[in-house]
Amino acid sequence: MASSPALFRPQTLAEALELLASTVDARPLSGGASLVAMMNAGLVSPAALVSLTRIAELSGIHVTADGNITIGAATRHNTIADDSRLGGTASVLAQAATQIAGTAVRNMGTIGGAIAHADPGLDFPPALFAVDAMVEIASRSERRRVSIREFFTDWYTTVLQPGEIVVSLEIPKPKPGVGLYLKHARVAGDFATVSVAVSLARDGEVRVAVGGCGPSPLASTEADRILSSDTSPTAATRAGDLLASLANPVDDVRGTAEYRKLLIPRMLSRALNDAVAASRAAA
Amino acid sequence: MSGRDTVTLNINGAALQASAAASDTLLTVIRDQLLLTGAKRGCNQGVCGACTVLSDSQPVRSCLSLALDCDDKRIETIEGLSNDPAMQTLQHAFIAAGAFQCGFCTPGMLVAAFALLTSNQRPSEIDIRRALSGNLCRCTGYKKIVEAVLGAAEALAWKVVA
Repeated sequence: MASSPALFRPQTLAEALELLASTVDARPLSGGASLVAMMNAGLVSPAALVSLTRIAELSGIHVTADGNITIGAATRHNTIADDSRLGGTASVLAQAATQIAGTAVRNMGTIGGAIAHADPGLDFPPALFAVDAMVEIASRSERRRVSIREFFTDWYTTVLQPGEIVVSLEIPKPKPGVGLYLKHARVAGDFATVSVAVSLARDGEVRVAVGGCGPSPLASTEADRILSSDTSPTAATRAGDLLASLANPVDDVRGTAEYRKLLIPRMLSRALNDAVAASRAAA
Repeated sequence: MSGRDTVTLNINGAALQASAAASDTLLTVIRDQLLLTGAKRGCNQGVCGACTVLSDSQPVRSCLSLALDCDDKRIETIEGLSNDPAMQTLQHAFIAAGAFQCGFCTPGMLVAAFALLTSNQRPSEIDIRRALSGNLCRCTGYKKIVEAVLGAAEALAWKVVA
């Protein structure tokens, strides 16, 4: 049996980044919902764990004077699900949060931990695409910002380098309008087989992204352009077919690649239809 | 550094000492050292909910919590909650509805249901199904569990009125 790791529990971000830079085989530990499960299964046995949950600057949701929203990386899923400031188009994020696993896991898991783990069935990534989030990343020596669209590079792989962690997600000021997250899973609480995130702003701008169909959510500027000028069922079908043609999903326990490609246009049509209906109801 | 550490955990209102390695989960420590065996080790992956306990009054997976990382939390297990009238009402409702067969999931179900009734005194059937969706039962088909929680909510509301 592998020897037990050392556990560090820093109180400041600077201390955490120093530990991650200077400790051999140290892993950042956030809510534990993925990392501890992997340790229990014997998939990973890091030499050191750096717990991030006591660092005040990594937690909580803040709205800046200009209306942009910063979500600290160690903010729990249930905190995001319950925050009414994630309104308008950004409500897609809160809706995604409410559909992650069960409530006990939502009390533990964090948004930064989730995206750094980069499971393709996660709920946050397509929602973060739909709101054009930026990821703030830090290491001991550097801070950088990366668009969520460039964050996921391969299966379970991100742009994060050793010693780097996600510090926060930055969401541009939500627009008046509707956000909608539609998830298809085998049972409630499972990872998505396919999910669709929609941001439908009252000014007409539409952003859509598809989860569960590859290492990174699927999005297309052409699909967004089509839907931003026309949200009719015909346009939704065109955009959905386009996204399905770009998808390269795999067969797994949650569904075959073929099944996923069939789901994409159908779910996009339904999500858009529901978003348009919600938008009319709110007007 | 990577040996075992002594940790004092606040469990069911008592300060209990245990010895844990960093990779030991709260579930392992409460079951194997503190002999609080109500919480069950089902999947050890956070999926089945049989290990559910309360941490600062919120339901969490004890199998995904590192014991050494819980020393600043107020942990409540089914054993401690069993003194609470609301939990006793739930337990009686489970018995009345016959809401178990093998019983393995029952402590986790009860803790999750208790957390629900703490935040929502009059849950709908949908609220109950949502709140228990992270707790798997392989025997009952859930119908009687949902009925039991509905019955407990009704009985507790009645007590408040009376």
